[in-house]
Amino acid sequence: MKTLVNAFLSLVLALSLTDLSARALDERKPSSQQSGPLSRAAEEFKVLTREGGMRPDSPPITQVHHGPKLLWHGRVYENFRNDFLDAVPHEVNQNGESKSPLRRNQFGFNVAGPVLIPHVIKDSNTFFMLSYEGVRERISRASLHTIPTMAERSGDFSQTVDQAGNLLPIYDPATTAPNPAYNPSLPVSTSNLQYLRSPFPGNRIPAVRLAPAVQQALSLYPLPNTDIGPFFQNNYFVNAPETDTADGIIVKIDHQFGDRHRLTSLTTISSGFLGTAKYFPNIGSPNAPDHNFSTRRTELDYIFTASSKTVNSASVSMASNVVRAVNSAQSPFPNYQLIGNYLSMGTAYPNSSNARNTFEIRDAVSSRAGKHSPRLTFQLDRYQVNSFNPAYPSGEFQFSPDITSLPGITDTGDPFASFLLGLSQFAERNITTAPSYFRDSYQSIAPGDKYAISKDLTLSVTLNLSRRTPRVEKYDRQSTVDPSVVDPSNGFPGGLVFAGIQGIPAGLRPANIDLDPSIGIAWNPLGDAKTVLRASFSRSHGQIPIYDGQWGTQGFNAQQTFISPNTQLTPALDLTAGLPAFTTPLPDLTSSAADNTVADFVDLSGREPVYLSASLSVEREMPFSMLISVGTNYASGQDILVGDGAANPNAVSPGLLSYGDALYNQAFRDTLQPFPQYPGLELYGLYPAGSYQRNSGFVRVEKQASFGLSFIAYYELSKQLDDYSGPYGNQDLFNLRNNWALTSYNTPQYLQLSYIYELPFGPDHPLLQFQGWRERLVSGWTISGTAYWNDGTPLALHPEYNNTGGVLSTLYVNVVPGVDPHVANPGPSSWFNPAAFSQPADFTLGNGPRTEPDLLGPGFNTMDLSVNKRFPVGGGRAIEFNATGFDILNHANWNSPDTNIGPESAPNVDAGKIIGSHGGRVIQLGLKFNF
Amino acid sequence: MLRPHLAIPVVLFALASSNIYAQTSNVSVPAWIETNNCAPAPQFDASVNGKPVPVTAQLGPASDQVILIVLDLTSDPMLVEAAKQALIAEISKLPANAWVGLLRAQDGLHVLADPSADRRPLIEAIKSLSNSGEPGLLETVQGSLSLADGITRKSPVRVSVLYITDGSIYSYREDYTNPVINQSDPHDLSRTFPEMLIKDKISKLVEDISSLQAPLFVVHLNYGRDRLNEAYQNGLETLADATGGRSEICHSIAEIPEGIAAMFARISSAWRLTLAVPTKIHSNIQIHLSAQCSDEELRISWRTHFHPKEG
Repeated sequence: MKTLVNAFLSLVLALSLTDLSARALDERKPSSQQSGPLSRAAEEFKVLTREGGMRPDSPPITQVHHGPKLLWHGRVYENFRNDFLDAVPHEVNQNGESKSPLRRNQFGFNVAGPVLIPHVIKDSNTFFMLSYEGVRERISRASLHTIPTMAERSGDFSQTVDQAGNLLPIYDPATTAPNPAYNPSLPVSTSNLQYLRSPFPGNRIPAVRLAPAVQQALSLYPLPNTDIGPFFQNNYFVNAPETDTADGIIVKIDHQFGDRHRLTSLTTISSGFLGTAKYFPNIGSPNAPDHNFSTRRTELDYIFTASSKTVNSASVSMASNVVRAVNSAQSPFPNYQLIGNYLSMGTAYPNSSNARNTFEIRDAVSSRAGKHSPRLTFQLDRYQVNSFNPAYPSGEFQFSPDITSLPGITDTGDPFASFLLGLSQFAERNITTAPSYFRDSYQSIAPGDKYAISKDLTLSVTLNLSRRTPRVEKYDRQSTVDPSVVDPSNGFPGGLVFAGIQGIPAGLRPANIDLDPSIGIAWNPLGDAKTVLRASFSRSHGQIPIYDGQWGTQGFNAQQTFISPNTQLTPALDLTAGLPAFTTPLPDLTSSAADNTVADFVDLSGREPVYLSASLSVEREMPFSMLISVGTNYASGQDILVGDGAANPNAVSPGLLSYGDALYNQAFRDTLQPFPQYPGLELYGLYPAGSYQRNSGFVRVEKQASFGLSFIAYYELSKQLDDYSGPYGNQDLFNLRNNWALTSYNTPQYLQLSYIYELPFGPDHPLLQFQGWRERLVSGWTISGTAYWNDGTPLALHPEYNNTGGVLSTLYVNVVPGVDPHVANPGPSSWFNPAAFSQPADFTLGNGPRTEPDLLGPGFNTMDLSVNKRFPVGGGRAIEFNATGFDILNHANWNSPDTNIGPESAPNVDAGKIIGSHGGRVIQLGLKFNF
Repeated sequence: MLRPHLAIPVVLFALASSNIYAQTSNVSVPAWIETNNCAPAPQFDASVNGKPVPVTAQLGPASDQVILIVLDLTSDPMLVEAAKQALIAEISKLPANAWVGLLRAQDGLHVLADPSADRRPLIEAIKSLSNSGEPGLLETVQGSLSLADGITRKSPVRVSVLYITDGSIYSYREDYTNPVINQSDPHDLSRTFPEMLIKDKISKLVEDISSLQAPLFVVHLNYGRDRLNEAYQNGLETLADATGGRSEICHSIAEIPEGIAAMFARISSAWRLTLAVPTKIHSNIQIHLSAQCSDEELRISWRTHFHPKEG
C-alpha cells in the first residue's frame, strides 16, 4: 500500500522511529565515546565557539566581525494619514458635509546594539537602544450642539417650544408678586400659584431689558448653521481641528558587570503641544484650553545574581509630567453655563499649570529552596503634585430657566432667556493666591511563596503589608470641613479645620495600614499536563489619589460664591452690576472661612477603596494547535471613590420633599442640611462611598501558528452592578444601596476575534510559486485583523424636569405598570417604548431604577484590518509597507437614543429615538526600513 | 493500526559546498518516520523535480548525535528548577553516542560545557546556572544554528539545537514591543497591531536561518497570554518549523517535564538525510522522497527552494 503524505500535513503527522536505523543500508554505526565523528564534531564546536566569541578565550568581537555597525539593528518609519484616504465620517456626512480634514504624520527611528567604539571599546558588555518618534497632526472633531436661534438672541422667544413642540412661555421676573389667593395647604399648581408673574408680551423680551454685558458676550457666540432638530434643537454643527505636535525619545542602556551584576537605565522624554478642537473660533469657546506638555521618566534597574538560586532586583524610578495651559497670561473669558441643552461659553481651568512627579524605589529578592520559591518585595513610592489650578478666575455664572419661569410650574422659562436678562442662578469666582504642593506616599513589604505541593499542584501565596499616607501640602496649606468640629461663629457642626493648626495633622487624617492576601493554585487534574485548572483570590486596597487642582485649600484660597436665596424669585447675581470685588484678606484661617460656599470636603473617616477578586478557569490543549480556556471571574469593591453626583454628606433627606415649594427658599433648605452653613460640598471624586460587583464568564479559543494562521477568539458574558455610575448621578444620596443597578458601562456580551495570516504565496508556499521579480511581488504578505462586537450599555432614563426644590440633584423616571418598554424591531425611529416611563410628579422620587435592567443601547461592532508586505533587500534588511484600515467596512454604529422622558402634558417627541450614527473607515499607510 | 508515515518538514535549506559529484552539492534535511515496526530499516530514495538524486548518506536514530542545548532562563525560579530537573533527567537517559553541549543565551551565546559523553560537568553546569538577565533567544538563535550548521558540514553526525527558554517578549534588550513614546498622542493607530515588530524579526530570522541545515527545537516554559507574547510564541513555532524542528509552549509546571521529554524523543528519533543536489537547478524545486517500510512504501513530496550558501 502506498501512502502519499502531503508535505504540509506531514508537519503534524510526523512521528518518530526509535529502533530501526541500525538496519538502514547506508546508515553509520554508532560510534564509541572516543570515535572519530563525535570527536571531530566536538573539536569543531570548540573552534567555532572560540571564533564566535562564545568562550572566555575568544578574541575581541570587533576582530571577528567587520565592524560595530553590523551589530546594530533598528528601523526608520513613517506612518501617514490623510482624509483623502478615509471615508467621510458618518456623523459628518449626516450633517451634509463632504470633508473632514485630517493631516497626520508619525515618523521615527529605532536603533539598538552593543556600544562599540573603534580602538576604545572593543568588546562591550554595554548595550543601547534609542528610539525617536515625532507626530504632526491636525484632525477634525465633529460635534452637534444646540445654540439660540437668531430670534432668541434678540429676545424673541415667540417660536421657542418645549420638547413636545408647545410654546415655551417666558415670564418676566420683574412682575413677580405674591398670590393673595395662594392656599399653602395645596400643592403649587397653575390653579394655586404661590407667586404671580406675567409672561413677556408676545413671549419677547424687550430690547431695553437685555443685559449689556450679555450682548458683549453674544457677539462671540456663533449662529445656527444646521437644523437637525427636533424643533430648534441640534442646530449647530462643528467639525474643528484638534492639533497634536509631539516629539519623544526613549533611551535604554544596559551593562553587565561580570556574571552577577546587571545595570539598566531607561529614560523616556516627550514634549509637545495639544490644541483642542474649538467649538467656535474665539476666546468665548467652551472647549478645554490648549496645553503645552512635557513628560520625563527615568528608571535605573540593578539585578544582582547572588547564586544560581537567589536573585535580587532593585530599581529606582522618577517620573515627571507637566501640563501648562497656553496663553495663561491672557485674561480669560468668564464661564457662562446655560443649564439645559444650550452650548455654554468660556472654559474652565483656563490658565492652569500642573506638575506631577513620582519617585519609586523597589527591591525584590527571589530564591529557590526545595519545593519553595520564596520572594520578598519592598516598595517605596512618593508622589508630588504641584498645582496652580483656578477653575474660574473670571467667574462662573450659571443660568437656569427658574428666574424666567412661572414659579413652581415646570415647562416654563428658558435658561437663555435668563442669560439675556443677566440673571444668574449661581456664580462663583476662584481667588487663588499661590500654587499648592501636595505630597503623599506608599510603602509596602510583600513576602510570598510559590510552593510545588506536587508535580501537578502549585500553590502561590502573597501577603502585602502596605501603608498609605494621606495627602499633605508642603506649607500645610490644606483645609477641610470637619463634621466633628463646631463652628463657634454660628454653632453649626462642620467647621473648617486647617492642617497643622490646633492639633490637626498635616494630612488631616491618619495613614492607612493594610494587610492584603492573595492566593492562587494551578492544578493539573488527574495528572493530565494538557489540562490546567487555575483558581485565585485576592484582596487589595486602593490609594486615594491626588488629582490636579487645589481642592481642599479653602482659607488659603477662596471661592467667591453667589447663591440665589430662591432661584425662582431672585437671581444670585445680576451681570449688569458685575462681580463685586473680593475683599476678605487671605489667608482666612477661621472656622467660617468657607461658609456660604460649596465647601471642599475631605473624608476624614480613614476609609479607602477595598477590592476583592476571585477567578476559576480551566485550560485545555486541543488537537490542531488549539488551546481552549473557560472560566469565571468575580470582582467587587467597597468604598469606591465617587463624586458629587453619587454622594453628598450634606444632602437633604428625600423624605423632606414633602415641604414642597418651600424648599426653593435657600435659607429654609439650608436648615434641613447637616451642615447648614454650606449650600453644597465639593467631594472632587474622592469620597469613599461606592460599591460594585461584577460576575463574568468567558471562553477563549486560541489557535497557535500553523500553516501561517493564528487566531484568538474571546467571548465574555458579564453582569456588573454598582451604586454610583451613570451620566446623571444618584437620586437617593442617603441610602446608596437604593441606587443599586446595572453599571452604566456594562456591556453584557463581548466578542473579539483577532488573527494573523501569512499568505501562502511564493516559492516555498503552495500558491503562486513564482520566481524572480514576481516572487518579490507575491511573497512576504501578511494580513492581520481584529473584529469586535459588543452589546450596548444599559440605558439611564431621565425625566425632563426636576421640580424638587433643589433637594435632589438627580431624579429617576417612574415606571408605568403593565407597559412593555421594548419595541418589536428596535431601530433609529423607535429604540424603546417611552410610554413605559413617566415624569414623576413634583416633589416626589422616581420609582424606576438608575439604569434599566433590560434596556440596552445600540451595540458596537467594528473590524480593523492590516495588510503588511515585506521586501527583503539583503543583508537582513527589509522594506516594509503597511496599510491599515480601521472600521474597514465603514460600518456606522448608532448613537444612543434620547432618554429624556417628558411629562404627560409635554412628552419629549424624541424620546426613544436615535439621532445619527458615528464612525467611518480610516486608512493609515506606513513605510518602514528595517536594518 | 498505526500506519507509517514519512515526515519531512518544509525546510528551506542550502546548497552546501560541492562534493565529489561534479555539479552537485550536499544538502542535509531532517526526517522522521512514523511507525511502530519498520523492518528491515528503510533505504531512502530521492528525486528533485522528477529526476532521481543520490541520497549520499542517511543517519538514523541510533547514529552519533550532537545536541546543543541553549539555556535562556531569566524568570520564575520554580519553572527554571522544573526545567533543569527535567533536562538532567533526559540527558541522563541519552545513549553514550549522544554528546551534549551546553550554552547560555544572555548577552550573546556563551559556552557552559563542551559536547562530550561525560554528563557530570554538563549536569553541574545546568545546576549552577542562574536565571537572571534578559532573554536572548531572538538574538542568539542564528548564531546557535550557524554553530550547529558548521558542525553538520564538518562531521557525519546528527546535530540539533534545543532552546530551553522562559523569556517574555517584554524583557528583551532590543525593542520588539514598540512602546508608546508620546503619551499625548491620542490618535496613534500604529500600535493597533503591535505584533508586527515581532513578525518582522521572525521573518528576518527565517530568511537568515534558511541556509542552515540543523533543526531548531524550542521548549518555552512560561506561556504568555497577552497579545505580544502570543505573537512571540507563534514566532518561535514558525522559526522551529522553518528549520524542520519543533516548539513546545508549556502552560503549567506539570507540562515542563513532558515537553522537554517529548523534545528529546523527537531529537533522538530524527534521521539526517544527505542529498546530492545539482547546483545548477532552478531554486524553486519539488523534492520527492520514498522509503520502504515493512510492506509499505512511504512517499512524501513537497516544494521548497534553495538559498545559496556562501563559502
